[in-house]
Amino acid sequence: MVNDGSSLSKDLTPEQFKRFRDYIHQHSGIYLEESKSDSLRISLITRATRFGFAALDDYFKLLSTDESEFNELMNLVTINETSFFRFPAQFEALRQFIVPEIVEAKPETQRSFRVWSAGCSTGEEPYSASMTLLDSGLEGLGYKLEVFGTDVSTNALERAKAGVYPSRALLNIPHSVATRFFEPTPEGHRVADRARRLVDFQFHNLIKEPYPLGLMGNWDVIFCRNVTIYFKLESTRRVVDNFFNSLNPGGYLFIGHSETLTSISDRFEPVEVGGVFLYRKPQQRHTSFARVVEQRRGESRRPLAKQTDAAVRVGRRDRVRSAPPGAIVDERTGVAEKADIPGLIVSARKASEEGRSKDVLKIVEDVLAVDPSNAEVYLLAAYSHADSGDLQTALEECKRSIVLDPLSAAAHYVLGIIYQRQSEPERALQEFRRTIYLDADFVLAHFNMANIHRAKGVKLEACRSYENALRSLYRTPEGEWTWFLGGFRPDLLAQTCERSLLECRKKA
Amino acid sequence: MASARILAVDDSPTILEMIKAILLQGGYEVITAMDGAEALETARAEMPDLILLDVMLPKLDGYRVCRLLKFDQKYKGIPIIMLTAKTEEQAMATGIRTGANQYLTKPIEPERLLGAVAEELQKAQG
Ligand SMILES: C[S@@+](CC[C@H](N)C(=O)[O-])C[C@H]1O[C@@H](n2cnc3c(N)ncnc32)[C@H](O)[C@@H]1O
Repeated sequence: MVNDGSSLSKDLTPEQFKRFRDYIHQHSGIYLEESKSDSLRISLITRATRFGFAALDDYFKLLSTDESEFNELMNLVTINETSFFRFPAQFEALRQFIVPEIVEAKPETQRSFRVWSAGCSTGEEPYSASMTLLDSGLEGLGYKLEVFGTDVSTNALERAKAGVYPSRALLNIPHSVATRFFEPTPEGHRVADRARRLVDFQFHNLIKEPYPLGLMGNWDVIFCRNVTIYFKLESTRRVVDNFFNSLNPGGYLFIGHSETLTSISDRFEPVEVGGVFLYRKPQQRHTSFARVVEQRRGESRRPLAKQTDAAVRVGRRDRVRSAPPGAIVDERTGVAEKADIPGLIVSARKASEEGRSKDVLKIVEDVLAVDPSNAEVYLLAAYSHADSGDLQTALEECKRSIVLDPLSAAAHYVLGIIYQRQSEPERALQEFRRTIYLDADFVLAHFNMANIHRAKGVKLEACRSYENALRSLYRTPEGEWTWFLGGFRPDLLAQTCERSLLECRKKA
Repeated sequence: MASARILAVDDSPTILEMIKAILLQGGYEVITAMDGAEALETARAEMPDLILLDVMLPKLDGYRVCRLLKFDQKYKGIPIIMLTAKTEEQAMATGIRTGANQYLTKPIEPERLLGAVAEELQKAQG
């Protein structure tokens, strides 16, 4: 049976092709089209001859029982074509746009930036990422930088780890990069240690699930370019799903410049950066506190469960540490005491004025843990959510606040603002009317009513509302509404009203 | 000379109206946008002479809008003034740059706003 290979049939019958194709597909995700039949044939004969098999069917038996042989074959089958700074605009975008954006959103305590190059081939891509991170200045800010390259081709990985490249590999990179990040050796150009020390390599098959824990999470950027081109659609979907789950919120996926996620995943947010399309994992959306409380109400039919739940939730160590200044938090339970609520609300308002939405929501949560029917903090939450553009959650919180305190002018005003921003002018008008009914001198309600009327072209109504706004303003130059001015002075509001009134009168 | 055209971006209709009033008073032509995506689109379509950009914006925040425009050869010349609350200015001190031409801290006073606008327009022309 074993011979020198000369009697090995050099043909690959359509049945054999299908058998190998399906096996490769099943185990690597790579789907070889009919047109790849010849290149597969050459790879198969190369391997089969090496073992002296007389028939490709014998080789198939070996292949299907020996994982290392499968990897050997894959080294031949996969195309490892790659280059340094392939599609340079993506690396420019990484350095100038993505890195600053991600770093800015990171908590102070989390000073690391991690990039995964999935399907890294011979290492050019992860090394390019490493050089880009070094040029972004992050290290100077105290960030720990990590780049991880994975591939199924063990040959490619060997070369990646060696990190020595022929001159032609450096042809298309800027001179300054070549001189700073490579050193000439007799074997070729070696990636300099400073770029190399950020990078690690490991064998990993993107099709094999589950992924090892080390890969599943805490990535800021994932490159997966020109890898899934041979995958079946369903495999690509799963791979991209795994990337989504592994990325930090706000993290980015880089795919090949001719690839797209259309019909693969709609979980990412496409972002165009200077002509390059990148895919961002959105920051988490908030669940409204109103909904959480609803759920808790449901649970409270099992009173014990509710108690432990609340205690665990508020009592976590990080929660105690992150308690806002001015809050008195019980050392043992971590629960704020009821008497502190006014102080907490003051700090929440201050946080809201300064645009620190996250802090506002944290305080709201602390207050609700002690006083779950506090209308005022629901309103603060609503305002914060509206501020960060999550109008749906804002609406829920605001309605909750109104249920708890139907006579709050401010709550109706905020509801009006939310409707106004949702382009529902009629509903907005109704809420502003309610606001004025509860507090006739709520200047901003008059002002916004006027603006809506003017936009609708109802000049007379607009004039009347501007006049009302001015009248209220002179009567009560400061009120609950001043807080909603976003730091502008009331006299500026007066000027704006006067100016708009003149204009409306002209046209009316 | 035709008056400069300014894109004012803020998600609060109340504040947008007030900023608009100040700018009109300064003799400028004003266009507006209420979220980051709209701001980007309007900026690209209208090529304003200057952009007043609030930091806290739905969809894309002001920093991102700013960076996207400053990253783009075609738009990087448009002066951008960012309107920020105090803590945001502190955030700037972490050393991460957006490429904005100026930061104005709230509360915004009309004179200061008009001063900054005039200054940036002049620089852009010179
Ligand atoms: C054309 S190269 C792309 C290299 C690099 N990402 C770039 O764009 O320059 C494709 C790489 O994907 C790898 N690959 C193919 N299937 C894979 C799988 N199932 N898991 C991991 N890597 C795979 C191949 O071994 C090959 O090195």
